[in-house]
Amino acid sequence: MDTVTRRKFLKLTTGAVAVGAAAPLLSMNDIAQAAISRPLPANTPILVIVTLYGGNDGLNTVVPYTDPLYYSLRPELAYKQEVVLPLNAELALNPAMKGLKSLWDQNKVAIVRGVGYPNPDRSHFSSMAKWQTASPAKNINSGWVGRWIDTQPEEPMLAISLGSVLPPIFAGNKRSGSALPLGGLVIPKGDLAAQCIKLSRPVAKDSKLMAAAAISMGNLFSVSTNVQPVLKSPAPVPPDLPTTNGGNAGGDSNLAQQLDVVAKLIAAGSPTKVWSVSLGGFDTHANEANAQASLLGTVSDSLSRFMGQLKATTRSNDVTIMVYSEFGRRVTGNGSDGTDHGTSGPMFMVGNAVKGGFYGEQPSLKNLYKGDLAVTTDFRDVYATVIEKVLNSPVEPTLGKWTGRVNFFN
Amino acid sequence: MQRFGFGPRPGEYAKALAEGVAATRAKVVTVPAVDAGAAAVLVPEITNIGKRPAANSAEIVPYTIALRYQNQQLVLWWLDRMAMSDHGLTERMTWFWHGHWATSIGKVNFALPMMIQNKTFRTHALGNFKDMSRAMINDSALQFWLDGQDSTLKSPNENLGRELMELFVLGVNRYTEDDVKGAARALTGYQVVNYEGTTTFNPKRHDPNPITILGTTQPFTGEQLSDFLVAREDCATFIAERLWYRFISSTETMPASFGAKNAFATRDISSAVKAMVQDPAVGDAKNDLVKSPVEWFIAACRALELTPSNLKTPAQLLNYLNQLNQVPFSPPNVGGWPAGEAWLSSASVQYRIAFATWLIKQSSLRGLLEIPVANRALKSADWLGVAEWSPRTQGALRNSMSDPAQFALLALCSPEFIVSA
Repeated sequence: MDTVTRRKFLKLTTGAVAVGAAAPLLSMNDIAQAAISRPLPANTPILVIVTLYGGNDGLNTVVPYTDPLYYSLRPELAYKQEVVLPLNAELALNPAMKGLKSLWDQNKVAIVRGVGYPNPDRSHFSSMAKWQTASPAKNINSGWVGRWIDTQPEEPMLAISLGSVLPPIFAGNKRSGSALPLGGLVIPKGDLAAQCIKLSRPVAKDSKLMAAAAISMGNLFSVSTNVQPVLKSPAPVPPDLPTTNGGNAGGDSNLAQQLDVVAKLIAAGSPTKVWSVSLGGFDTHANEANAQASLLGTVSDSLSRFMGQLKATTRSNDVTIMVYSEFGRRVTGNGSDGTDHGTSGPMFMVGNAVKGGFYGEQPSLKNLYKGDLAVTTDFRDVYATVIEKVLNSPVEPTLGKWTGRVNFFN
Repeated sequence: MQRFGFGPRPGEYAKALAEGVAATRAKVVTVPAVDAGAAAVLVPEITNIGKRPAANSAEIVPYTIALRYQNQQLVLWWLDRMAMSDHGLTERMTWFWHGHWATSIGKVNFALPMMIQNKTFRTHALGNFKDMSRAMINDSALQFWLDGQDSTLKSPNENLGRELMELFVLGVNRYTEDDVKGAARALTGYQVVNYEGTTTFNPKRHDPNPITILGTTQPFTGEQLSDFLVAREDCATFIAERLWYRFISSTETMPASFGAKNAFATRDISSAVKAMVQDPAVGDAKNDLVKSPVEWFIAACRALELTPSNLKTPAQLLNYLNQLNQVPFSPPNVGGWPAGEAWLSSASVQYRIAFATWLIKQSSLRGLLEIPVANRALKSADWLGVAEWSPRTQGALRNSMSDPAQFALLALCSPEFIVSA
């Protein structure tokens, strides 16, 4: 990719949300200079975090399809043996996850079983906060990726979240990741732009929030209008998947759109090491089967399409995807053809660098803890592994002294 | 005015300044018997449109059109009330309670139950929280939203019980998981006809057995549970915390001395709000708040003298609010909308600029143009209810004196207006 395009692109992606008064104001020149002097080096690992909001029912995602207890404990919700996608003699994927099954067959999917944290909290908000802050025992304001960002040299494009609201996972104590909306940016021109840039300068009397408001405008105006072509250009075409809408293409779901933008920007050489995308709707208290299958189908199709898109770039070996949700769901149904908030669930790691297979112990259906699945792997084991192997960083500044690891990389 | 209403109309802020802080504070909390501005907003015809016809039937198309139309009318009606009310506190509190008992039409689907719920919020907005909580237990939209209609003696569903304790009455970690299970049992037996907006209690589906909740063992109905939770000390702490978070500061922690808590001893919301308005924290410079998109939009409408439902077109209006992630009746989840810096992404900046440009085109800008040019750069702060412009913003405004539309745009997108001091 030529320098001019890279420069255009770099201008596009800046969008830092300041968390502290110390957040610097970027000028267009700074960013153009960064584009030339600090492109993401080849072979730098990239992490893509996929958050499933609402509490995904892990037992109907990775299904213990040969365990009689699975059928006797949730008769109205259990998938029949003949429809699931077997992974081994005990576990199978949800029937909607054909794309992910195909990646599994290529040894690119690690499934970490029974992931959670001590004393599970069944509130969406508390539990998601625990996952995103990586601090299950104590309420804190910074996210684990945010604390990692704090340890890195300053780079507003280091961590980018798709969508206009920044998730807490990206909030650091000193700095934070950036938010990038879908659909590109519309930026005023001419004198209005000049006056807006004036408005974007924090002044001494500004409160913290006023300074943040000023800086957020500054970041928008650090972006040049001539970068639009990068976002408007077609996403990379997966060489081995049909390009029609629907089916494998799955281009009509929001998750697919978010991953489309990520694929484009990775292909363009973004100096971004962490991306965050998300899908909501997993809170299936009632009429679960159809809703969850449709969502899991979206996840599976979007991820396999994304992996396909990466094949058309030079970065396909660099990208690792991590999928998680704030909790699993109760083992037994609630009588509304749904499930209430539960405890542990499976995490998925996907990528060419990933050593496919199962990790962590499958929670037993026989020895439930108060009717719930046991937590067999702490999510910090997974985060610590990702911090070391993908982000190439020491664990301690982000997670404190944490010794657990999950060995899912080649 | 920004915090306890939705911002001044032209002339109102200057008048309040002249009357002084004490008089203004008293005025803010004194709800007049008649609010002519709000009363003039026509109430849309939100009706029971019946059960959804079968897919592919002849009736389904007109049905869907009616459904969408009613849902849009509902949003416009409320935005109009916020923009047109003469005394902002009631609508402001109604808005607060909507974010508190956050229920989304995304799941409820019908305008009628959402309208009924909205009226309940308004009725109890400054009333007694015990009555409000009981009314909410019987609210069909909330029951449907949190799966209460599926919760029976045989299979209690925990969703409503958990959120009642965590998000509505007590606050997180002020109960145990066993209490959640108990609350779910206490709340069994409600049945909802969603499109009618009705809730009925069916004793056959209710768990009549003694239940232990927070150390008390007795048979509980849903209403008894509500009364029991509302009477707890933690309820006063929690509601004071929520008032603090939405009206004083989303970043600073509530101090123990915050007056709203003690004033809530009788669960009278009005007393708590009065104490809050008088609390020294209101005047503390470190306590400021980011206007959420709806708050920003309504404040702009009032300054620009625009009526939301007259904007061209309503669909475009809802699209702007949607881009900024805040449409009334559609909170993102049961926790309500975020606050503070969540609204300050650079992504939101571009939408706010486009939105303001669109609004300004539809306004006469009377409030701005009536200020003599000679002191417009300074006095325009009064127009928008801003304490004072920083030198930065003054500079940008002075450079735009020849272009009132650009002047207005910069003022509406300035840090001083986006953040309410």
